[in-house]
Amino acid sequence: MYATENDIEIKSRTQSKKVWKFSEILEDPHVKARWEKVRKYFFLRESTYDMTTRCNIRCEGCYYYEGEKQYSVDNRNPEAWRKLIRAEKERGITYVVLAGAEPSMVPQLCEACFQEIPLGAIATNGLKQIPESIGYKIHISVWGNDETSRRIRGAENMLNRQMDNYKGDPRAVFVYTFTRENIDEAQEVVQFLDKHGCKTTFNIFSTPTGYDGKLRHTENSLLHTRSTMTALMKKYPDSVWYSHYNVVAHTHRFSLHDLYSCSYPRMNVSKGIGLGRSFRQYRSDLTWNRDASCCVPDTDCSDCRHYAAGSAVVTARMFRHAANPRTFKAWLDYVDTYLAVWVVGYDKGKNLCDEPVAPPGF
Amino acid sequence: MPEAINKIILRVAQVMIHELKLEDVTPETFEPDVDLVDEVGIDSMDLATVALVLQDEYGIRIDEDDYPKLTTVRFISEYIQNKLNE
Repeated sequence: MYATENDIEIKSRTQSKKVWKFSEILEDPHVKARWEKVRKYFFLRESTYDMTTRCNIRCEGCYYYEGEKQYSVDNRNPEAWRKLIRAEKERGITYVVLAGAEPSMVPQLCEACFQEIPLGAIATNGLKQIPESIGYKIHISVWGNDETSRRIRGAENMLNRQMDNYKGDPRAVFVYTFTRENIDEAQEVVQFLDKHGCKTTFNIFSTPTGYDGKLRHTENSLLHTRSTMTALMKKYPDSVWYSHYNVVAHTHRFSLHDLYSCSYPRMNVSKGIGLGRSFRQYRSDLTWNRDASCCVPDTDCSDCRHYAAGSAVVTARMFRHAANPRTFKAWLDYVDTYLAVWVVGYDKGKNLCDEPVAPPGF
Repeated sequence: MPEAINKIILRVAQVMIHELKLEDVTPETFEPDVDLVDEVGIDSMDLATVALVLQDEYGIRIDEDDYPKLTTVRFISEYIQNKLNE
């Protein structure tokens, strides 16, 4: 019923005039229980780290090979990484995201990070297995079926190779990135992953700065993605980790920055509190630059709908979602999804909100 | 007036201790001028939680944009007092 509603229809259906007290919202025992469940993780303070400039494939539209960071000189000394992560812990970082270009190329560096900060995630293409001793969440990128992966990523038989490495691995979450071109392939890919007992979440292709290729979304492709995501979520409620609010937030015609005012340093001048204060994005030479710091540098902010960005930016806007029960439930679903995707051992609950809800003010 | 602000300070400290499960401090011993971010280690989510509870209690509206100003119990208390006087 709601699958193809556009942003304006969702807004007009979900507007609320009553001013609610937070304590009234928490009177619902399901809401209260979920709130108590997620708030235990408010101690998470993230930073991200490019581990190496190397990758074993080249994907069209890869953010890593845009901008300056690809020209860094890799620091391959595990002791240097250990020292960095220890210093990160001392300044309050409790969660690390190991990303570009391909962390599985440098498992000894990932291991050094894990030994210092045990909570985190690794973004990988899944073609090389990351040792089990590294107990981070493993996010395996999927960009369509094998034919599309061959064309866009230059890799053969990708899904089966990813499956060989990560089937049955409790760390693994497959991240299906919807581009403008692969929307209809999601059905067969998610079915394949579900059949093999794998967990899936969704991402939206967000264009790197200067990219104007065929993967870039349009308003129509975002709406098509919206209905596809919703259908998959309903069809595979146990293996697809997503919520109605995730769908709306990431397929909205406005970017995450427009909707939520991105709190990463690159777009946030305030250094007082939150991500603007603590977040850093390190290059593989262990340097960082505040002006470039966000979860996926060199993304065009006006087109940013990254799952990683949303996980931080939507979550950080708790205050404005605590305006009425419906919006707060939607936010709780979003945070519950984010924690299941990013934190080892966190169990996703059943979504509280069974309909799309508009982002506050939109 | 000083009595009123002291009462608010005590209540803000109580809420802070309760919501953030702070240990080794009581509302009476909570130093109102201690920097909540630098010295207590609270983050934006903690502050948002406290702000929601205080909004309810005092019937005021705390603006998200004002968070950077709310760095001590005293500043929060003065902010509440100003809102009550508006």
